[in-house]
Amino acid sequence: MNSAQLEIQIIASLVAIACAIPGTFLVLRKMAMISDAISHSILPGIVIGFFITQDLNSPFLILLAAITGIITVILVEHIQKTGLVKEDTAIGLVFPALFSIGVILIAKNANDIHLDVDAVLLGELAFAPFDRLIISGIDIGPKSMWIIGSILTITIGLLIAFFKELKVSTFDVGLSASLGFSPAIMHYSLMTISSITTVGAFDAVGAILVVALMIAPAATAYLLTTDLKKMLGLAIFFGVFSAISGYWIAHWLDASIAGSITTMLGLIFLMVYLFAPNKGIIAVFYREKQQRTEVSLLTFLLHLKNHNEESERHVNHLNEHINWQKVRSRSVLDLALKNNMITIKNNIVSLTKKGDDFTTQAIDYIITNENAQIEDMKEDFFLFRG
Amino acid sequence: MNKKIAVQVDDLTVAYNYKPVLWDIDLEIPEGVLMAIVGPNGAGKSTLIKSILGILKPIAGSVSVYGKPYKKQRHLVAYVPQKGSVDWDFPTTALDVVMMGTYGSLGWIKRPGQKEKKLALEALEKVGMLAFKNRQISQLSGGQQQRIFLARALVQNAAIYFMDEPFQGVDATTEIAIINILKELRKAGKTVIVVHHDLQTVPEYFDWVTFLNVKKIATGPVKDIFNDDNLTKTYGINYKVSIQE
Ligand SMILES: Nc1ncnc2c1ncn2[C@@H]1O[C@H](COP(=O)(O)OP(=O)(O)OP(=O)(O)O)[C@@H](O)[C@H]1O
Ligand SMILES: [Mg+2]
Repeated sequence: MNSAQLEIQIIASLVAIACAIPGTFLVLRKMAMISDAISHSILPGIVIGFFITQDLNSPFLILLAAITGIITVILVEHIQKTGLVKEDTAIGLVFPALFSIGVILIAKNANDIHLDVDAVLLGELAFAPFDRLIISGIDIGPKSMWIIGSILTITIGLLIAFFKELKVSTFDVGLSASLGFSPAIMHYSLMTISSITTVGAFDAVGAILVVALMIAPAATAYLLTTDLKKMLGLAIFFGVFSAISGYWIAHWLDASIAGSITTMLGLIFLMVYLFAPNKGIIAVFYREKQQRTEVSLLTFLLHLKNHNEESERHVNHLNEHINWQKVRSRSVLDLALKNNMITIKNNIVSLTKKGDDFTTQAIDYIITNENAQIEDMKEDFFLFRG
Repeated sequence: MNKKIAVQVDDLTVAYNYKPVLWDIDLEIPEGVLMAIVGPNGAGKSTLIKSILGILKPIAGSVSVYGKPYKKQRHLVAYVPQKGSVDWDFPTTALDVVMMGTYGSLGWIKRPGQKEKKLALEALEKVGMLAFKNRQISQLSGGQQQRIFLARALVQNAAIYFMDEPFQGVDATTEIAIINILKELRKAGKTVIVVHHDLQTVPEYFDWVTFLNVKKIATGPVKDIFNDDNLTKTYGINYKVSIQE
């Protein structure tokens, strides 16, 4: 691995972290679309900034582009407030307009500037190491590494300082306002950080990857945890993991780096979506099946409790009486036996003491639907979870 | 009875889209009452509370809490929002939500520590939800969620409590548990203001009542003003409640 390769991976990882942090809050605020809007509509800001500074990495240009990002957000909100259209429609109205202004500006001046729409949208990580930052004759590394590094430092500083404010204003706007943590200030700060990050990462990785790095890792992490800090940590992990693995896949396949990273992000999301322990669709499917069996079990136990006559408790009769297929009866009987809830003697089923107690408790719970002691029971019995 | 005024509202008018939903409200809430705000859906009850708490900006009028603007008195006020106003799928636990009640006294930047955690656990205990402290909040039933929000208001240790329909969708046991806590708060000298829909229970639960429907219809002690006349004025139809019990 040579130093350019290492630098590319460092830049990609820094971008991933810098995107994952605001991205987590955007996902929680159901504002994923807005990052898309920002990433496109800052184009005119970049173009105008470039005319003035003639330098794609100038801080002034970044500032100008970030302001365009904020203007986008304000325009979207303004249109939405009229009550005529929904938020996604408002976004759809604003960003193509701004984006096309940017495209026209580029096209009009295409002769004098090295700026083309493809480069802006897709970016090219492979070239990032060539643009060096040289201070008094000393090469101190790629420019984009320093830009994104500074943005990341600020983001982390703000995150640590205002974590609780961000959390409460995202979770409960009303409480946040009544406690004196202005939701508007938090909202626009988040939008500013998102815009600055987008612009800073833009040149190195392109608009599409910025959006992907903001939304996909956070959306993936969201499926895995019920703790905001863990969600942030996981989002960062998925972002960095995709960045580095995507880089090597591109290397081996000789493909686009941004494309490979985006593909990795998509794949990881898909895997988690399928296999996540609680919210994954396989887990949900399994749990529903399990619950069906357990409801059957309870129905069965209730039947036993209500009938003392042997004829009602004969295995064959149960099949007919409760009207289940053989397979289902079998699995229910097995489950009950496994949990020592019943005994079977000469094909006559009886409740054990444990089964009897359990049934009583379960009925109690179902009727009152409130009981703190049931919490212990939930550990070994699926039905009462969640 | 010359009590202090906890909350004073003068000439308050509030609009969302230019059309006022609250018209020229004057309201004095004396310290130490347990007050119901009643009125039909869309009457502006939630709006009134939100305006008092500075969550909404009125187009006219003013609000003061113990004689000063709300902004200066935030620490004296706790708020339980109407259900459904928060994001239930947010990655946070019951304990965490209750801890949020302590954020106000912490102020900006400072983070909650052991002391705040202890307060939160005590409040959870009080509302009978200690066993659920590590549950993600969407995995709680409606009544349990309501208790969590009550606990969050309790840790704010405020002088004035605003609750927007705390009994919405809760069972009889929870309702009694909540009302007992509210009565305890009143006993401790706090002022409690509750948006309430069940007119039958007003005389039993509350000692003060405000009738609201865009305008303020009436406000005062339940025993003096909770009558068919005011109910009819508020709800528009001929209302008859039996309050003889
Ligand atoms: N965000 C909003 N934008 C526009 N209009 C709103 C908004 N929130 C409430 N309104 C309108 O303001 C009026 C008062 O609403 P509010 O929520 O205060 O009623 P409420 O008395 O609390 O009703 P409920 O008993 O249903 O909770 C209603 O007509 C409602 O449609
Ligand atoms: Mg309301």
